[in-house]
Amino acid sequence: MKCAEMLELETPAIVRRDPVRMPNGLLGFEKIKNYVLTTNPDEHPFAWLQVQDDTALAFVVIDPFLALLDYQPDIPQADVEFLKLKQADDALLLGIVTIHDEHRATVNLKGPIVINRHTHVGKQVIITNAAAYSVTHALPVAETAD
Amino acid sequence: MLILSRKLGECIVIDGRIHVTVMRVEGEVVKLGIAAPSEVPVHRKEVYEEIQRSNQQALVKQSALLPKLAGSLPKLKAATPP
Repeated sequence: MKCAEMLELETPAIVRRDPVRMPNGLLGFEKIKNYVLTTNPDEHPFAWLQVQDDTALAFVVIDPFLALLDYQPDIPQADVEFLKLKQADDALLLGIVTIHDEHRATVNLKGPIVINRHTHVGKQVIITNAAAYSVTHALPVAETAD
Repeated sequence: MLILSRKLGECIVIDGRIHVTVMRVEGEVVKLGIAAPSEVPVHRKEVYEEIQRSNQQALVKQSALLPKLAGSLPKLKAATPP
């Protein structure tokens, strides 16, 4: 089964909403399984992973490779099989962002969300090389931002 | 919970395929050797707890802060790793 829309995080020209199903939820939020990935041109490079049943609740996400250029997450084989990923291009990775205040935001690089672009099924995975990365990797927010 | 006593060098087998061996005991530190098939994820529990806490901290109500924050990251693509 393939969805019509292939998931992308490229700069969108319009607001885009794609359903994402995470059968295991997120760590600490195991019961919340249905999300909507919302990308808005005004908010690029950020996107929202909104709880489908309560869109006021959401996680801010970002392409983790933007946060760290040489990020090399090692996805456990069990997760590759669970998500039915056949090639690297099948996977869309999202790093969950914590906004501490308007000058400080961090991204979790130990536990990215991996989504199969074709099936829109996702999972928060603990990468095999988690020890090499931080859950609070600082995003380079400009000092002069205000 | 099943509680087993093991001596140095002894092993327990889980599901016929996961072997946990006591490698070394130094005071309060026990070194375990874990041999498991590649499809079995093995992590310290702290990693799960750390990610769980991070998720809880990251959950937000929709905020107007994001466009502003996005605006302050114009050079993100050119960012170099530390």
